[in-house]
Amino acid sequence: MSRYRYLFSPVRLGPVVVPNRIVFAAHLTNQARHGLPSEAHAEYYAARAAGGAGLIITEEHSTHVTDWPYEKLVHGFRREAIAGYRRITDAVHAHGVPIFAQLNHNGGQASSMYSRLPVWAPSAVPDPLFREVPKAMDHGEIAEVVAGYRTVAAHCVEGGFDGVELQCSHSSIVRGFLSPVTNLRTDGYGGSARNRARILLEIVEAVREAIGPDRALGVRLCGDELIENGTRIEDAVEVARMVEATGAVDYLNTSIGVATSTLFMIEASMAFPPGYALHIASAIREAVRLPVIGSGRIKDPAQAERALAEGQCDLVGVVRGQIADPEFAAKARAGRAGDVNACLSCNQECVGRVGLGRWLGCVVNPRAGRETVVLPTPRRRGRRVFVVGGGPAGLKAAATAAGRGHDVTLLERAAQVGGQVALAATVPSRVELGELVRGLLAECGRSGVDLRTGVSVDAGWLRAQAPDVVVLATGARPKRPWWAGELERVVDVRDVLEGRAAPFGEVLVVDELGFHQATSVAELLADRRASVRISTPGMVVGQDLGLTLDLEMFTIRAHAKGIAQSTDEVVTGAWRAEDGGVLVDLHKHTTGVTVQQRYDWVVCAVHQDPEDGLWQELRDAPFEVHRVGDCLTPRRADSAVAEGHRTAAAL
Amino acid sequence: MTALTGPVVLAGRTAPSRVLFGPHETNLGDGRALSERHVAYYERRAAGGAGLIVTEAASVHDSDWPYERAPLAASCADGWRAVVAACRPHGALVLAGLGHAGSQGSSAYGQRALWAPSRVADVVSRELPAELEEREIAALVAGFAAAAASAVACDVDGVEVDAGQYSVLRQFLSGLTNLRGDRYGEDRTALLVEVLAAVRGEVGDGRVLGLRLSCDELAPWAGITPEHAVSSFAGFADVVDYVVPVRGSAMNVSATRPDSHTEPGFNAGLCRAVREAVSGRAAVVWQGSVVDPGAARAAVEDGTADLVEMTRAQIAEPRLVSLVRAGTPERIRPCVLCNQFCRVRDSRNPRVSCLGDPGSGYEVEEPPVDLPWPGTGWDAGSGAGTRSGGGSDAGVGVGAMSDAGAGFGAGAGIGAGSVLDEVLVVGGGPAGLEAARVLALRGRSVRLVEQEDVLGGTLLVAARLAGRARLAELVSWLEREVRRLGVRVENGTRVDLADLDPAASVLLATGSVAGPRAYTSDGPVIETRDLLAGLAAGAQVDDLVPAGPVLVVDPVGDWTGAGTAELLAAAGRDTAIVTQDPVIGTQLAITGDLAAANTRLQVAGVRPHKRAALRRVLDGRAELVNVITGVESGVDCSVVVHCGHRLPSPTPTGLASAGDCVAPRTAYQAVLEGRRAALSLATSPRVLGRV
Repeated sequence: MSRYRYLFSPVRLGPVVVPNRIVFAAHLTNQARHGLPSEAHAEYYAARAAGGAGLIITEEHSTHVTDWPYEKLVHGFRREAIAGYRRITDAVHAHGVPIFAQLNHNGGQASSMYSRLPVWAPSAVPDPLFREVPKAMDHGEIAEVVAGYRTVAAHCVEGGFDGVELQCSHSSIVRGFLSPVTNLRTDGYGGSARNRARILLEIVEAVREAIGPDRALGVRLCGDELIENGTRIEDAVEVARMVEATGAVDYLNTSIGVATSTLFMIEASMAFPPGYALHIASAIREAVRLPVIGSGRIKDPAQAERALAEGQCDLVGVVRGQIADPEFAAKARAGRAGDVNACLSCNQECVGRVGLGRWLGCVVNPRAGRETVVLPTPRRRGRRVFVVGGGPAGLKAAATAAGRGHDVTLLERAAQVGGQVALAATVPSRVELGELVRGLLAECGRSGVDLRTGVSVDAGWLRAQAPDVVVLATGARPKRPWWAGELERVVDVRDVLEGRAAPFGEVLVVDELGFHQATSVAELLADRRASVRISTPGMVVGQDLGLTLDLEMFTIRAHAKGIAQSTDEVVTGAWRAEDGGVLVDLHKHTTGVTVQQRYDWVVCAVHQDPEDGLWQELRDAPFEVHRVGDCLTPRRADSAVAEGHRTAAAL
Repeated sequence: MTALTGPVVLAGRTAPSRVLFGPHETNLGDGRALSERHVAYYERRAAGGAGLIVTEAASVHDSDWPYERAPLAASCADGWRAVVAACRPHGALVLAGLGHAGSQGSSAYGQRALWAPSRVADVVSRELPAELEEREIAALVAGFAAAAASAVACDVDGVEVDAGQYSVLRQFLSGLTNLRGDRYGEDRTALLVEVLAAVRGEVGDGRVLGLRLSCDELAPWAGITPEHAVSSFAGFADVVDYVVPVRGSAMNVSATRPDSHTEPGFNAGLCRAVREAVSGRAAVVWQGSVVDPGAARAAVEDGTADLVEMTRAQIAEPRLVSLVRAGTPERIRPCVLCNQFCRVRDSRNPRVSCLGDPGSGYEVEEPPVDLPWPGTGWDAGSGAGTRSGGGSDAGVGVGAMSDAGAGFGAGAGIGAGSVLDEVLVVGGGPAGLEAARVLALRGRSVRLVEQEDVLGGTLLVAARLAGRARLAELVSWLEREVRRLGVRVENGTRVDLADLDPAASVLLATGSVAGPRAYTSDGPVIETRDLLAGLAAGAQVDDLVPAGPVLVVDPVGDWTGAGTAELLAAAGRDTAIVTQDPVIGTQLAITGDLAAANTRLQVAGVRPHKRAALRRVLDGRAELVNVITGVESGVDCSVVVHCGHRLPSPTPTGLASAGDCVAPRTAYQAVLEGRRAALSLATSPRVLGRV
C-alpha cells in the first residue's frame, strides 16, 4: 500500500463513495445484442470490478431513436434495456464496486444506415466520417432529445446504476452544440458560449430530476477538439464552470479529440506518450472544485499515481490497461505491479476490432470480451506438455497449460524468448510491443513453466521424452519473393532487424503486408540516413495502420523523414545493377505501365513460410501434437496468443 | 417456344418460371441462423413468380465464418424449413445455398486460421491461410455432405454448391490459389468432383443439385479461363442439374456482380459456350447483371441459357416474373445496378435493400406498399393490405390490384361516403414521385407539381455522371407509374410555399440547394449538379466549363466526385481531383467500384491530390494543403467543379416534407421518406365532408 499514497484512497463523487481512483471509463464494446445490453456486458464489467477497479462507467446508452451510428449500440431509450442493466449492476455490485451508465446521443456523428431516419444535429453540417447531411433540429426535436436523456436516466436508476455520466465529449450531440464548427445556429441554442451550452444545461437539469439526489451525475467534456476553429481548452473550462454552477453535477470527466475526425488522438497508440491528455483534466481541475477524471493512455499504476500526486486529476481513467489485465488494480494494490499484463497500446484488437463492428478483444488478453466463454475443464491434470518455441504462441500456450495444472516444459532455440514480437519491439517506435513478451514470460514464471532457452530439439528427442502432449510453436522464416533470385541486396525485414543486413543509400521497401513491418523498417532505415521508398500493390501504404490509428502519425513522421510512398505497384522483376545495386521492374497494375528503377537495396515485407519441419515429422506421433501461431500459418501476434491460449486450455 | 415465365423441370421438380433468385449476402440473419426476415424476403420473391430461390450460402463447416451474419449450415435447419413452407405455396423451388469461403473468409469471428488449398494470401485481406491437410479436406467434403443431408431433411427442393466467387472450391480449381503437389493439385478438379459426388449422394436424384462455378477468373496467367473451364468442367454436367457460370476471383471480387460501370449481361458469351459444352446434360443459367426482362426472355428463346438468374432485378422488383407474365413488363421497377444498397458484405453489416425499393429487406417491419400480383397466393393479409387499415377487405381484392389501384384502400379507416381532398406534392424528384405513386396506389387523388420541365430532380441529373446513366430508368419508371395511376402532373409550375395552407394535404419534396464551400476562389466555381443539369439539357462540357485545367473538389468521396472527374476527362479536359482521403472515392467500396474507379481515373489521366484540401484559388493557381502533414502545394486551375454536400432547400415549418429538403442524402432516403410521408398522409387524410 505504501507505494501508492493516492491511488487507493477513496473519493466521494456526490452521493457515491468510490473506493479507489482507478476508473474503468466508458468505451465501446460491441457486445449489445439486438440493441440491448447482454450477458457479455455483465461479465466484462464484473471481471474488472472483481479485479479491483474503483469505478466502472459503462459504454454509452443511446437516448433517442434518431441515434444509431453503429450496429451494436445499446438502445437505452427502450424499456427492455432495464433487465440487462439490472444484470450488469448486480454483477458489478457483487464486488462492492459502484457503476455508472453513460448516456449519449451521437448527433450528427452518425448515419441513417441503421435508424433509417434523418440524422439530427444542431446544424446541417455533415460529419467528416459519416458524411451524411444531418437535419438541423427544431425546438420540438431538441426538447425530444432532452426528454430522451431524462427517460434513459430513469431507466438507469431502475436498472440499479449508482450514477450516470453524460458523454458530451468526442461523439455527442452535446459536443455538436458546444462546438462552433458544428453549431451554426442563430437561435437561443447557438452563438454565444452560454447559448451553445444551453442544451447541456437543460439535459443536466432533466437528468438530475430523473435520478434524484442519491445518484451521481457526471459530465464528460472534450477539452480540445483538435480541429480548426473547434473547441479549445479555454472554451471547455468555461463550460466546466457553467456545469459546476448548476450545482446538479457531481464530477467532471475529460477527453480530447473528436471521434469522427481525430480519433487517433482519443485512443492514442504507442506513438503518443502516456498521459498525453492529462493537461485537459489539469486545466479543468484548476477552474472547478468538482472532482475531475483524467485519462489518456495511462497503462501503468505508477503513471496513474503520478497523475494524482501531481494534482492533474482526482481519478484516473484506465481503459485499455484493464482490458489487457482485469486485475490491474488488485495487482497494483497488492504490490505486484510487475505482474500486470500491460496494455501494449497496439490498438490492434480493441480499437481495431471495434472500428469494424466486432466485439472488443485484446492481443495480450485473449479472454477480453470473451468472459462468458467458459474454458473447458482439464480432462486430466498433470499431463507432461512440451512446448517447442518461445514466441508469443509458445509462451501463451506454456503459461496457460501450466496455469491449468499441467507439467510444462518450454524449449526455445534462441537465447531469449519472444520470437518475432521481441524483434519487432527493437524498432524504437514499437518498443512497447515488448511488454507482451515481458508479461508472458512473467506469466510462465508464475505458473511454473520449466523454461529452457538456447535449446534446439528434434523429433527424435521429443519422441524420446514420451510426452503426453507436444505443442509446436516454432514460428516462421522469411520467404524470398520469386523475383528476388540470388540477389544479396534483396533482403527481408527480419534480415534488417536481426542485423544480418544493413541497407544504405536508396532503399525500396516492398510491402505486401500493409502493417507495421514495412513502415517500421522504413522509419528505421530513414533514421539511419537511407533514402527510402515504400511500394505497395495496395491503394494505401500501411493500410492496416488505419485500423490501429497509427496511420496519421506515420504519415507525419514519414514526411519528416523523407520516406516516399507509391501505391498500386507490383514488382515484376529484379536484376543486379552494374554498380552493385538492384534494378527493379515496378508494374503499375492500374495503368499497365512498367518502369525500371535502381536501388541500392530492396527490403521485403512479405509473407513468410511456417517453420513446420517438426510438424511434418511428428504429425502421426503416438502422442498429441498441436500447432499454434505462425508454424500453422504466419499471421499476427493476436492469432499466436489466442491460439496458444485456446490450444492449451483444451488440453 | 421456351418461355421465360413458363415452367421448367429440374430433377423431376417443376419450377414455375425460368427465373432464378440467386444466393447473396443479406445480413438478415439472427446470429448464424436464417431469420423470419429471410423468410419474408424470399417469400416476397416467390410470390412474385421467381422459379427457383437459392438461400444465402451457408458455411458447411465451422472453420468458415466469412462475415458476421454468414449462415452456418448447422444452424439453418429451422430457417430452411420455414423458407420452404413460405415459398412452396407459390410454386417456387427452394434450394439451400452451400459453401465455404476458404481464404476469402475472415478469421475475425471464428478466430481460427483460414482454410485454403495452399498458403496464398487473399488479395483483399492479405491474410495468409493455412494449407489444408488430407484429413481436413475429408472434413470439408463431409461438411458439404452433412449440410446437404440437413437441408434435405428440411425438405428443400435441392441445394446449390458454391464454386463461384467466395469459395474454397474455386480456390482448389484455380492455379492462382492451388499450388499443391498432391493429388488435389495434380487434378485441381478432384475436390469439386468429390464434393459433388458426396452431395449428390445425400440429395438423391429426386432433388436439384446446382453448381455455381467460376469459369473466368479474369487472371489468365494462372487463373481459370473460359476455355479451360468449358473443356475441363463439362465433366461435371452429368452430376449436376444446373450450372451457373460466373466470373471473377479474389483478384477482382467486384467483377462477379459489378455495378453499372459494367454492361449488363456480360456473361452471355460464356454462358453460350458452357451450354454448348454441356449439351443438354444439365441446364445452364445465365448470370451477370441480367436486369432486363426482354434480354432474359431472348436468352432463353435463342438458346443462350435454359434459365436466367435475376437476383438484383428481383431485389428491386419482387413481382418481376408476374409482371412479365401479365404482359406489363413496363411496370417492373428497374434495377439500376447502383450496388449502393444490395451489396452488403461490409463490416458494418448493412441489411440488403434497394435504392428504388427501400422496403426490400425490410419485409417484416415495413410490409411492401406495392400490390402483390393476383393469383400468386399471397393474399392481402400478408401484404400491403395490412398497412392500409381495417375495414377495407373489398378494396384489397384482385380487382383493385389489377386495375391501377383505383378503389384500393379508398375505404381505409374512413367512413364510406367521405370525400378526401387532393394531395399536393411539391417537387418531382424521387421523394415526390414515390410519394405521389404511393398516395395514388392508396386511392388518393394527387397533384404533383415540378418547377422544371422534366421529372426526376437530382436523380435524373445524377444519371449524367459517368457510368450512372441507368439511374434515369428509375426516374422513367416512377414517372410511368404516377401517370398510370392518374396523378395530375404539372411540370414547369412553381408553387409559392409561403402561400400553402398548412391545413391542406401537402407534401414538400423540394430538394436541395448548393452547400457551403471550405475555400475561396477568384475564378469560376461550378456546382456539379449545375454542370450535370446543363449536360442533361443538351449542352456540352465545353459550353459549361470555361477553358483551362479543371479541379474537381470532392469532400464526399462517392460516385459524384469520381464520376464528375471521369466525365470531364472523357470530354478531353485537363482534370485533377482533390480529396482529404488517402484514396479517391472511399465510399465506392460500398458499390465495389473503388479499385475500378481509381484505375479508370488513372488511365484517363486524372491527377489525384490525395489527403489534401483546397484552401483558395487565386490567379489561376489552386492552393492545396495536406490535411495530415500541413504541407502546401499549388496546381494550375482555371475552374473548380464542386462536388460537396448540399443543403436542404428552405421550406416553411409545419408542413410534411421528405427527401433532400429534409437533409440532402441519396435517392434511397428520398424514396423511403416519400413513401413514409405518403403512407402517413394516406392513412390520416383530411376529410372534406360527406357526400
